[in-house]
Amino acid sequence: MNLSKVFAKAIITSPERQLEADHDMLVVQRVQAGEVAAFDQLILKYRERVYGVIYNLTSNREDTSDLTQEAFIKAFQSINRFQGHSSFFTWLYKIAVNTTLGHLRKNRLRSFFSLEKLHEDNTNTEVIEQLTDKRGADRQTYLKELQEKLNEALQKLSISHRTVITLFEIDGLSHTEIAEIVGCSEGTVRSRLHYAKQFLQGEMSKYLGS
Amino acid sequence: MPDSEKRSPVTIEDLLKLKRAERPSAEFWNDFERELRQKQLTALMQRRSWWQDLPLLLSRRAYLPAGAAAIIAFTLVTVKYSTPTLSLLPEPQSQPAVAAASASLAGAPVPLVVSTAVSSPLVNRKEHSLPIDDRVPISASNYPAAAQPDLPLLVTVESRDELTPSARSIAANLARLEQSEPELISSVMGNRLSAAIKPATDSGAAVEFASLSSPGGRRSRLLAQYGEQTLNAGPGTSEVVRERMARRLSDLNDGDRFTRIGLKGDQVSLKF
Repeated sequence: MNLSKVFAKAIITSPERQLEADHDMLVVQRVQAGEVAAFDQLILKYRERVYGVIYNLTSNREDTSDLTQEAFIKAFQSINRFQGHSSFFTWLYKIAVNTTLGHLRKNRLRSFFSLEKLHEDNTNTEVIEQLTDKRGADRQTYLKELQEKLNEALQKLSISHRTVITLFEIDGLSHTEIAEIVGCSEGTVRSRLHYAKQFLQGEMSKYLGS
Repeated sequence: MPDSEKRSPVTIEDLLKLKRAERPSAEFWNDFERELRQKQLTALMQRRSWWQDLPLLLSRRAYLPAGAAAIIAFTLVTVKYSTPTLSLLPEPQSQPAVAAASASLAGAPVPLVVSTAVSSPLVNRKEHSLPIDDRVPISASNYPAAAQPDLPLLVTVESRDELTPSARSIAANLARLEQSEPELISSVMGNRLSAAIKPATDSGAAVEFASLSSPGGRRSRLLAQYGEQTLNAGPGTSEVVRERMARRLSDLNDGDRFTRIGLKGDQVSLKF
């Protein structure tokens, strides 16, 4: 299965996403009616995606674990305020991003990496193959170096630029969804995206093909 | 041609997509779930501060009734404090009118329109015009006995525009005195004063009295003392009352509008 299609921006307005949003709304209504256990379904469904967003913003897995739990607790506490104007997914992402941004602003001076292991699977083998022809331990060393360099470059970006490029390129959200989550216009999203890409290309030029 | 040459070059987007592969192991999620459950239960048990519920309150559609209630409450409070609260006039009772007496104190003779509502020797007929000489001290003996004492007498004072300012002030003061010390006044002047004084413009008298009361702190205190004291009927009460009134009135002379107030027997004289 080609995951790149799954994260394609064109899917955002697809019937599948609409169906997913409708299903989420039914579960939310059950939670709002008092069925607290129904919230576990939403946690199970979105925990990895929320974790991924927060991890890519912080590059620290310990902080990411705490922040992910905090985001779900906040969503649970304010579930009655969710009125369905946006999809539950967008609303949850908004809570997660705002929680992370608050944490990053508080701990601006303290930033160290605690990276997750980069799992090589079918989704990225082709890219890794393009990057290196090394095998064995050299390959792992190369990938580790690549991972650190990439995270360093991302952390050099401002919080707002990092957020936009994470949501767009890594999580596959549309400009409209990102604008709603971050709370700015689509034009601002595009502008920040363009700048972030330009910056990262300069930082990662050594690993990029000509 | 080698395969590497056929592949498209790695872009920044490809590198960023590599980050999707950075994810925790399956064991991580077991611990995550357990910790989240604990925090969830703690959040359920924890009481939220009142300010944490403010956004929830603001998001509810309670603006309109809350705002309407606030506006109505504000309007009521504003109206309450803007209306004059000072009331000089006692309830209409079967007591003689004081309007004629107050008009006599004012200065030039002023025709007084009186309608009968209370039995009084002062006036015993409706719409009876009564010329009054200000030079004559007020006393019970000066007023003719009522031909028909049983007739109710309602004394009304002319409109404010037809009375001099001093007359209005005197009328207000006497009305106030009668209200605070009705037994004192009745014992001094007899049943000659009517409580059913209704000036045409109540607010005028009230304003006049207010202007008198506010500057004189001592006067206010003395008048307030009148209200605190109660007269007990008994032998020698009239003597005690007369003596007390003489003392009080002499105090009132200080800095008051009246130049001289005297108490002789059953008479109270005001001289200018």
